[in-house]
Amino acid sequence: MPNLRDVKQRIRSVKNTEQMTKAMKLVSASKLRKAQRAIQTARPYAHKMRDVMNHLVARCHKDLHPLLDHREGNRVLLVVITADRGLCGGFNSNIVKMAQQLITENVDRDISLFIAGKKGMDFFQNRPYRIEDKYLGWTKDFEYLKAVEIGEMLAQLFIEKKTDRIYLVYNEFKSIIQQEVIREQLLPIVPEEVGSDLTDYIFEPDEETILADLLKRYMTTQIYRAFLESSASEHGARMTAMDAASRNAKEMIGELTLFYNRTRQAHITKELIEIVNGAEALKG
Amino acid sequence: MAEKLLITLVTPEKEVVVDPEVDQVNIPGIDGDMGILPNHAPLFTTMRAGRFSYEKGDEVVELVVSSGYAEVTENRVTVLAESAEFLHEIDHDRAEAARVAAEKLLQKADLEGEAFKEAQDKLFRALARLETKKSD
Repeated sequence: MPNLRDVKQRIRSVKNTEQMTKAMKLVSASKLRKAQRAIQTARPYAHKMRDVMNHLVARCHKDLHPLLDHREGNRVLLVVITADRGLCGGFNSNIVKMAQQLITENVDRDISLFIAGKKGMDFFQNRPYRIEDKYLGWTKDFEYLKAVEIGEMLAQLFIEKKTDRIYLVYNEFKSIIQQEVIREQLLPIVPEEVGSDLTDYIFEPDEETILADLLKRYMTTQIYRAFLESSASEHGARMTAMDAASRNAKEMIGELTLFYNRTRQAHITKELIEIVNGAEALKG
Repeated sequence: MAEKLLITLVTPEKEVVVDPEVDQVNIPGIDGDMGILPNHAPLFTTMRAGRFSYEKGDEVVELVVSSGYAEVTENRVTVLAESAEFLHEIDHDRAEAARVAAEKLLQKADLEGEAFKEAQDKLFRALARLETKKSD
């Protein structure tokens, strides 16, 4: 017969876990609210910015700015955005899987990585991948200025021709329970198809100045948005994961308690039988 | 007038104006104010801090924007501004205080390069707010 004390201890330990997952869920929920607001306000600007940029690039002379340079070359930089912490379901593994898949599918290309987030680093650092740079601990206090910094760094790499193409790989926030891994080309900028309708724009002050200025801002906006998407997704994923964990814990506690009660009952019955039998024996 | 302009104004913080149909848009371009009417030729401009407005029949809606970009294509005006406030959101006293602070900052002799430009921008923003408010 199983030891009652052991079962009791087990129940207690599961209860502790449940408390922890519940607390984490609440924390994630409040962080999610903040992150969700941030991404929802940043999105329209970023999207409009991309539209405008596409229009502009399609109509500009390609040699006006080094960031528009569509050159042949097979060096690709993947900017992989993961979280710093785990316990958020498939969030990190999905992104890592996507990155890995991209690498194995394109063996003919020379791929290097820029990793954001400790979890991504944990995975990639012990494997034979080339890591250009990393940015760890970003989830705690990400801000616009950081996006500016990363944007400048990436632009620099591209202009110095250390890489020919830059992709962003990140989780896009669809809803609280849904994230989607997205791969997006950051550089060079892909011009929209405009066909033959190449209306000339009037530029004020002039094309070159506007492009230089806008490109910088465009990079920052896109990077900033990608990080915010990832942040909101992470909290969403963690909340869902912790919710499921709490539910499982509750179920487990239920089962264990039932088992505990049954066993206790069996113990008592057994003892009663023993007492009755003993009394019978003495009588006889 | 049959033709209308569709305008969108977004800032990094929020969507300020979403798709009203208007008759005229006035943009504070970097080289001077511009009035945009329907069927305007495609245009792309950098904006300075200043008064941005649009007209719909007799109704005029005024805002103050700080630098950004504006694009005009096929009767669609897209404005990407650093910040934008409706006229009624502007606090005169606060704008005045900002102006004084910016002027003080500019009087410091040791200001250089970026810092100088930043202080100058601050002053322009404050002045733009004050001027637009005054003409109200």
